[in-house]
Amino acid sequence: MIETDILVIGAGPAGLAAAMKLKRGGFKGRVVVLDKAKSAGNHVFSGAVIDPAGFDGLLTESEIAALPCESRVNKESFRFLLGSGASVKIPWVPPMMQAHGYPVGSLSKVVKYLAQLAEADGVEIYHGFAVTELIRENGRVVGARTGEKGVDSQGVHKPNYLAAEEIRAKLVILAEGARGFNTTRLIESQKLASARPQVYALGIREVIELPEPVPGSGGEIMHTFGYPVDMVTYGGGFVYHPNDRQVMVGFAVGLDYKDAALEPHELFRRFKATKVVQRHIRGGKPVAYGAKLIPEGGFYALPRPYADGALIVGDGAGLVDGLRIKGIHLALESGVAAAEAILLGLDGVGERYDEILKRTRGYAEVKRVRNVHGGFSYCAPIGVMMAGFAWSTFGRIPWWPVGRVHADSDTLRAIVNRKSQTVNFPGSPDRLTDVFLSGTVHEENQPCHLKLGDSAKCEECAKKFDSPCTRFCPAEVYRREADGSLRIDFSNCLHCKTCEVKCPMSNLTWTPPQGADGPRYV
Amino acid sequence: MNIVVCLKQVPDATNVRIDPKTNTLIRDGVESIVNPFDEYALEQALLLKDRLGAKVTVISMGPPQAKVVLREALARGADRAFLVSSRAFGGADTLATAYTLSLAIRKSLDSATPDLVLFGKQAIDGDTAQVGPGVSEFLGLNLVTYVREIELKSGVEVEERKFRAITVMDDGEHVVEGELPAVMTVVKEADEPRFASLVGSMNASRAEITVLDEKAFAADPRQIGLDGSPTKVVRIFPPPVKGGGRRLDWNGGASETLSELLKELKS
Repeated sequence: MIETDILVIGAGPAGLAAAMKLKRGGFKGRVVVLDKAKSAGNHVFSGAVIDPAGFDGLLTESEIAALPCESRVNKESFRFLLGSGASVKIPWVPPMMQAHGYPVGSLSKVVKYLAQLAEADGVEIYHGFAVTELIRENGRVVGARTGEKGVDSQGVHKPNYLAAEEIRAKLVILAEGARGFNTTRLIESQKLASARPQVYALGIREVIELPEPVPGSGGEIMHTFGYPVDMVTYGGGFVYHPNDRQVMVGFAVGLDYKDAALEPHELFRRFKATKVVQRHIRGGKPVAYGAKLIPEGGFYALPRPYADGALIVGDGAGLVDGLRIKGIHLALESGVAAAEAILLGLDGVGERYDEILKRTRGYAEVKRVRNVHGGFSYCAPIGVMMAGFAWSTFGRIPWWPVGRVHADSDTLRAIVNRKSQTVNFPGSPDRLTDVFLSGTVHEENQPCHLKLGDSAKCEECAKKFDSPCTRFCPAEVYRREADGSLRIDFSNCLHCKTCEVKCPMSNLTWTPPQGADGPRYV
Repeated sequence: MNIVVCLKQVPDATNVRIDPKTNTLIRDGVESIVNPFDEYALEQALLLKDRLGAKVTVISMGPPQAKVVLREALARGADRAFLVSSRAFGGADTLATAYTLSLAIRKSLDSATPDLVLFGKQAIDGDTAQVGPGVSEFLGLNLVTYVREIELKSGVEVEERKFRAITVMDDGEHVVEGELPAVMTVVKEADEPRFASLVGSMNASRAEITVLDEKAFAADPRQIGLDGSPTKVVRIFPPPVKGGGRRLDWNGGASETLSELLKELKS
């Protein structure tokens, strides 16, 4: 058995911020970080335009200057798309959306950089180890168990079988990201959830390499709303230029969408095909792809971020500014808050973390925009209005739309007479081509990590919703065989967990596959 | 019994891209990994350690970053690690590399002769498959290539210093018998490499890795690095991109399609 003082599960921005801040604050004990990705940053995915506020109090000025981002935002625009051709430029970028001077780049690279700094500070980081269970004694979290390796598809141990290992800790920090496997189970078993269910958006993004560098384009960003989603679906797109050779194009859609025929990846392709996006990417070649969940339940869906023996940081604690769809700075701030609470001693650390977290700037933002999403659950214009109100009144709105209170799995309407249509966008990769670009790899001879519950429910779903998993999965993991059964190509999985969140029968469970498997985001 | 495994750090070929303008490797975002064939060589060594209690030494030649592959090997169960690293070794071809490694192998064992030296059958970046055989020449040891299984006795007594190896060849499998000490290169048909445990990884992260430079083993300066390399790389270029094939649709029936195809082939 291994013993450590602090165990951090997940080496993303939140987990690394906590680990680093501990060491930089003079913490003498052992800080161990476990991550399921093969290498640093491989399971970290974002736009990303990073609000640098999160680095304050964590990195030195020279470390911030050395962030591996080639550009800072120098030109920004905000557009309402009416259709594939027409769009209206909002004449000014709303103040709350402004991002001037923010670093633009790959969050995966930034995390790789943070991991190097953290290791130099004395943090121990081990990659390729998935945590499959929290160890609890008398209700208190006292450690974690890593996943077995070398088990074949039938559950039989292969010659290179590696048994699970236990690691005990005085405190566990859960930094697993949105809908983290162990975080979700802890929130359920300890009843940490808020009265409102956490809801999510699915973000999909490609990196497109331009045929020729466009001098001066680095640092330009554009956000859009409107087309290709309709007025009652929450969604928006972005185009970021991290340098003059590459463009990051992404689209996020609220998973509370009602139309069972909707296919997020197809929306993404429609978005890419619009005139306004084509202007940025014409002739370019997609070279990278990925998808992730964004928690956007906001203030009203925040779980209690601690339990006996454990703290929850970052996306796992629902900490995303739902208006700007920004969570990286909140992840960093919550990690720092967790470390500050620990540095004051382990007695009452949970409550103390909660207090410090509530004093952070990021938390104040989440509170300020707490009613925006409720507005969007009616329709986009009300949402935009609410966004303006929220900002101008610092969140103190005399009235607010209650918004939806349903979990994402409960919003689909039954399909009547679905007409199948194939959309073709020349030069735009289909889902499987995009899966290739994500670099995702899984040992094929292992038990399927996507657990299907009752197959009778699948049949019912097929009749009622025409198996929406075959469409909402951004990696085409789910397919219907000719005989109607569901086929699960788990090796395509991007670990985004959309299936677990959106399956209308709540019949799918995401579990961690063999450590080191999964996407290879860079 | 001393087993030495030579490991090379290589770019992860699953996402290697060539810059079409400069014809060089795009290193951005490309991870470094242990050469996959070398992992199989290491596994053979660790299996022999499990069975016979051998001492496994791992050696890598490369820049300081190559320590990562040595730590991975230590995490899986290797006993000691040496990094052969110096600017003087830069630009070495397979001959200079084999010379340098042969000296490093002896140095790592305090000039004793290893009982078994294992390599992967080739590295996935250069694909030459020359360094293993080269080392066997420099050390004057028996050589067996393309091995998938190694059978040894304890290797202490003279009569027990015999080996039996199964090799994978184009015409089938060969059973090769010989005497230790020997150099062998291992193929992927061998036992699957094991995983590093968390405990093993933690110990490996704290383990000492000795760095050997040209002074550590009195290398002949004319035989190392670029100066010791008779191979000169004139130009690196990717093979020409193949155009897509032409598809003939079966519209007008078999005979029409066939005659169209024949016409095309003749012209």
